[in-house]
Amino acid sequence: MKSDELPEGLPPERLAPPPPSANLMAAVGQMRPVRTRSRLGAFAAVAVAALAVPGWVVASHALRRDLGALPRGWVVAAAALWAAAFAVSLGAALVPARGDVLPAPARGSRAGLSAVLALLVFGLCASVEAPGFSLRPEDVHMSLLGSAGHCARFALLMALPCLAVGLLVLRRLAPMGGARLGLALGAAGGALGGLVLHFICPIATAGHVVLGHVGGMALAAALGAVALPLARKR
Amino acid sequence: MDAEATEATQLMTRYCAGDAAAFQALYALLAPRLLGYLFGLLRDRAAAEDMLQLTFLKLHEARASYVTGANPIPWTYTIAHRTALDELRKRKRARVRLTGDGALPSEPAAHVTGVPVETHQDQADRASPEATRQAVAALDRLPEAQKQALLLTKVHGRSTAEAAMIAGTTPGAIKQRAHRAYLTLRQLLSKDGEPAPRLTKEAP
Repeated sequence: MKSDELPEGLPPERLAPPPPSANLMAAVGQMRPVRTRSRLGAFAAVAVAALAVPGWVVASHALRRDLGALPRGWVVAAAALWAAAFAVSLGAALVPARGDVLPAPARGSRAGLSAVLALLVFGLCASVEAPGFSLRPEDVHMSLLGSAGHCARFALLMALPCLAVGLLVLRRLAPMGGARLGLALGAAGGALGGLVLHFICPIATAGHVVLGHVGGMALAAALGAVALPLARKR
Repeated sequence: MDAEATEATQLMTRYCAGDAAAFQALYALLAPRLLGYLFGLLRDRAAAEDMLQLTFLKLHEARASYVTGANPIPWTYTIAHRTALDELRKRKRARVRLTGDGALPSEPAAHVTGVPVETHQDQADRASPEATRQAVAALDRLPEAQKQALLLTKVHGRSTAEAAMIAGTTPGAIKQRAHRAYLTLRQLLSKDGEPAPRLTKEAP
């Protein structure tokens, strides 16, 4: 069976349309020139809005007490990974491919999930503790889940500005595949939360980083995936 | 970018710059194919025409979202697609639709292909009313997502990447849905014992 053979009688590709309605022509008659969008405009606007609060948090909070004792290369690599996860996810959610008007939903979900997965693997395999400086959940009288929940909530909070501004932009663009693009947007916000935690959270065990920091990012991604389709309906 | 996409891009750019004549030309270029797509989804010519007007009204309101130099055709399909989905959801919610005077609306006519433009007149003429009726009935039995994928890729010649963007899914899912739709359609049309008549169409 060849895939380019179609059954007879399917609706035709083109139909003779009616002329534009009076309403439409009235709207067109009153139109003024508009400034069109640039491919990177929405990305830049959301990135600036998203970075403001986390930037202020890092600047105003004390940095983690083990930062100086950790290998500098690892600190930079981990920060770069969180930052890349933010940029890649946000780009996939908001930047259309060259020649397109809308961002591609498939690219959004792929980027968001890949970012979460990459940080999960990094957290599991490459978490580093500085003995005597880094803390464990029991050092602050918390269980693993308790400390992870605390950091996940913080990551979600840091993700909110990114999610809110991104949702406003995407809601106006009204693309299909809102859940996929929302996922990427949430992952971007969550990655930003993880980046902030990387600099201020002194609990360095792999379990805490995976459950609390990456878990917070995953929660933000899930929140974005639910929120954008809902925002579209309103 | 093909010639039609290039023309649409130039027209859209002029339209955004406030040229009303460019809008007319853009409407003439895109409305026939959008109406064909909307009719394929809605199976109701009058509703499809209403949705076409609504699609262009939405395009007009959203023209500032256009990215200069981009191909506007997949975008207009996306707007039409969303407009049709909203209409289909409304229909699902309304159990019985009555006309203005409270009567039940008449069934859509059996001859539902409408009037194709000249370029497709031959193709439309070759489809017998019985084949059309069967194809339409079979198309209506397909799941919504499969129907969309089939119409976009096989009837409207959109690439899988474009169709994925229009329907909001992945290219892999579009391929799979279109293939399943195609198989189901052929199965439905050959159920009466006779093999379904075939019409070769250029692959996208």
